[in-house]
Amino acid sequence: MQLSRRLLTLAGLCLAASGLSPVKAQEAGITANSIKIGMFAPLSGANFAYGFDVANAAKMYFDKINKDGGIHGRKIEVVLEDDRCNANDLVAAVKKLVEQDQVFLLHGGSCSAAVVAAKEYVVRQKVPLVMLNASGDGALYPPTDYIFGAFSISQYAVGGAMVDFAAKNLGAKKIAYVNHDDAYGAWNLEASKFDAEALKVDLAVESVSPTITDVTAPFLKLRAANADALVIVTYARPAALLIKKAAEMGFNKPIILSVTGTANLAQLAQNVGGPDALKNFYIQEVLSDLPGGPKIKWVYDMYKAAYPELSAKAEHPQTYMPYGIPSAMSIVKALQAAGPNVTREKFLEEMKKLNFDSGVMAGPVVFSATERAANKATVFIKYDGTNQTMVPGVFTSRWKYKG
Amino acid sequence: MDLELAILFLQQGLVSGLVIGSVYALLALSIVMIFKTSEVPNFAAGEVFMAAAYCALFLMVFRALPVWLAIPLTLATSFLVAALFRRGVLTQVAKASGSPVNLVIATLGLSYVLKGLVRRTGYGDTPRSFPALVSTDSVMIGQASLTRLDMAIFVAAVVVMAAVFWLFAYTKVGRSMRAVGMNPKAARLMGVNIERVHMLVWGLSAVISAIAALLIAPKILMTAEMGSVVTMAFAAAIVGGFTSLPGAVVGGFVIGIVENLVGLFISSRAIVVAPFLVIMLVLIFRPQGLFGGRFAIKKV
Amino acid sequence: MRIFGLLLAAIVLIALPFFTTGYVIYLANILLTFTVLCLGLHIVIGEAGQFSLAHAAFYGIGIYVTGIAGTKYGLPFPVTMLIGGVAAAAVGFVIGVIALRMRDIYLALATFAFGEAMQWLFQNWDAVTGGPNGLRIAPAHLFGHEFVTDKDAYPVVVLFALLMIGLTILISRARLGRALRAVRESEVAAQAMGIPVQRAKLLAFGLSAFFAGIAGGMFTLFSTFIHPESLGFSTTMLALTMVVVGGLGSIGGAVGGAIVFGLISELLRQAPSFQEIAYGLILIIFMMYAPKGLFAFLADKFGRARHG
Repeated sequence: MQLSRRLLTLAGLCLAASGLSPVKAQEAGITANSIKIGMFAPLSGANFAYGFDVANAAKMYFDKINKDGGIHGRKIEVVLEDDRCNANDLVAAVKKLVEQDQVFLLHGGSCSAAVVAAKEYVVRQKVPLVMLNASGDGALYPPTDYIFGAFSISQYAVGGAMVDFAAKNLGAKKIAYVNHDDAYGAWNLEASKFDAEALKVDLAVESVSPTITDVTAPFLKLRAANADALVIVTYARPAALLIKKAAEMGFNKPIILSVTGTANLAQLAQNVGGPDALKNFYIQEVLSDLPGGPKIKWVYDMYKAAYPELSAKAEHPQTYMPYGIPSAMSIVKALQAAGPNVTREKFLEEMKKLNFDSGVMAGPVVFSATERAANKATVFIKYDGTNQTMVPGVFTSRWKYKG
Repeated sequence: MDLELAILFLQQGLVSGLVIGSVYALLALSIVMIFKTSEVPNFAAGEVFMAAAYCALFLMVFRALPVWLAIPLTLATSFLVAALFRRGVLTQVAKASGSPVNLVIATLGLSYVLKGLVRRTGYGDTPRSFPALVSTDSVMIGQASLTRLDMAIFVAAVVVMAAVFWLFAYTKVGRSMRAVGMNPKAARLMGVNIERVHMLVWGLSAVISAIAALLIAPKILMTAEMGSVVTMAFAAAIVGGFTSLPGAVVGGFVIGIVENLVGLFISSRAIVVAPFLVIMLVLIFRPQGLFGGRFAIKKV
Repeated sequence: MRIFGLLLAAIVLIALPFFTTGYVIYLANILLTFTVLCLGLHIVIGEAGQFSLAHAAFYGIGIYVTGIAGTKYGLPFPVTMLIGGVAAAAVGFVIGVIALRMRDIYLALATFAFGEAMQWLFQNWDAVTGGPNGLRIAPAHLFGHEFVTDKDAYPVVVLFALLMIGLTILISRARLGRALRAVRESEVAAQAMGIPVQRAKLLAFGLSAFFAGIAGGMFTLFSTFIHPESLGFSTTMLALTMVVVGGLGSIGGAVGGAIVFGLISELLRQAPSFQEIAYGLILIIFMMYAPKGLFAFLADKFGRARHG
């Protein structure tokens, strides 16, 4: 086996050298025995938690594929760049990877607003961009031939699924909805409004800044709306502040927290002042299992084996670590399907046909001729501060992109 | 909106505004103290506050030290670090160039270093808190609800302000601080050890930040980015006149109340922009702030 | 010595697109854009001594106005950039009128507040700026030719950068420059010498905003997207840092600071885990040991070595 592969490689090399190679040398980033992937993620600064370990997860998955023999005899080579989650730096990283490092495809982006800035360039250069965990909806709609994303979840689905769950499972007729005034917020609210209309539910919306320190005013207004449930679609800190405020003010309606705010549940329980604040509380999740649960334990085990030093450190693996797996799986699957004579075009064709269950996320990865957002399925978990109980059913949004 | 609701909103807005305003006021005090003596707006004020909170978190949660030990240790560490920064770095910067902007950039440098250090610990990303020093049970004032911790924050702001005011107005140290601020050369001639005064001011300012951190971290939750709240403290300071200690506190209350009322009666989206509009309005009509003295024309 | 340096710079600028990739040209474009941004800050702070901290806002106005004029109304680029520059200058002028009443820290913080308010406006005025979704910018065009890639845009960016550097030198040597410096040193003395202090200050504000607006226009030449996130206080502080580290009050300092510090920032991207600490330490060390800026420091060392 080993020998024959070596012979094959040798033969391939001879062919390549003689110029008769079926693998054209001009396809960037591809050699007879390697595929170069340009990865970028926030490896520093304020948004470090959103991408660092996500990139590590993708890397360890590629390493495993390499150990198992690679893809059609080729090993995956990763070039990693820091994008700082800042548009200018992200574009610099992308241009460096494409033009300097000559990568075959791009794999990166953990912050939506920043990754959207690379859209035109990527399309113009005809380089495949498979996002890491960014929702990146702004670069997915309208669909292009080159950009695939929302492997964690499309923000449209986040908001719509929350409304769907509140209406169907909690019987809410009126929903108090708090989101952010940023790109994420705009996207999830659009779908939420759509679902609310379909379900004949009233929405009372407050949009707040992610840096808000005093949530009294928005909370009072939401309470005054006299809704049947409070839906919180914010990041972890504002979410904790709102839940705590609700407890302080004796709010007893159900509270549902989106996946964007669930970073560390034990810490959340502590931050809101204990389990009393979580008596009637649900969280949205996009993973197929509770963090560390049996279905996704292998991901955490693999991380521990791949990064023993990091694992020993505080806060590693970071919460979003498993999100790196489905995008890496997609790349591997599409590369495998594209065959030994892979080109960017063939790879993109195969990406569009992907439809598989990663086992890591709640829903399958589904692309199509017109679909560029991988995941739209979410599940809900009842959380009382210590125990998590899965609510049966998968929830999503009715929202569809209309060109 | 019916009248009953509006009255409720008004009460809660005022009360909550006073509380969050106290947070801004405490931080504004720490900024104004330094500015009064060295004309340097401390751009690291937010990070000093943040680092103090992490110091307390480390001692109380990870080292499980008792509160009576953790609090003085946090305050002492803050004092030392800030005083040493003044002595070790800013003295050299001031000697190398008289321009205040260089001092400002040096404080900006400190803010990056502190943020980077906290992030290196790995605890900077997930929002955290340590057990509140005062209970967070609710209390009603009229129709407005707030917690005991909120009341403690308010009282602390007033007490610290009074203490700092007393220090500046009635003690020998305070008089030398004022002297250094007004005329360093004359102060030196009068036998004031300028360097020691600066160190003391920086140290005390950090102590105030640390007090704020101890009280507030459970209320606003900590991340490595929590220092950004200092923007509101700058707003408070400027509204109050930037050199006035009572002004800083009143400014904090004004900003806190405006934020809440804007959020309640106009739009949640406008909360973040309200303080900046207040700054601009105040400065357009009163260019020296509400409590600032008249301009002294310099460099004649 | 100086001529040799300029010659070297010219050769590098001309040769760059022939020997490097689009990535390097992109960096060059960004650095030159920041150079112009820094020149604007140099005029208002370095020359006139007025602490304006709203530079990112004027830069943003330049980007949005230029971008919208080109994308929505299809105007050709020199026109769009001029409109962007003039729009920024007009707003700068208004801020200048208000700022005339303020000094020092009050001025700094009033302009800071204005900058933050503008960022909020960019983020919330959905109908015009695209709000939090950001704004897509169509490629600039002139006489049917489109500027699509970084290399297309590069000659134009270089040209504008040179023009603005030339303009800064002109201003500095003209009576206006002397008036501004007189105001910086002492308003009272300037007044006594018959310098119209108010008018000089207003011009400084307007010109500085104009530079920032043009820098914004330059950004639209090679970028396809703008998001309000990148138009906050940190951008203003970055420009201020560049100007101060380069050497406050000198044109060479502003230009060199922008380029050297821009490169440092890009290089630090390769050392993620220490970059904040490293960045902070660089600032502190510069302020401690090279207070007059990088170039004064180098000239000093170099000069000393030469004179033995």
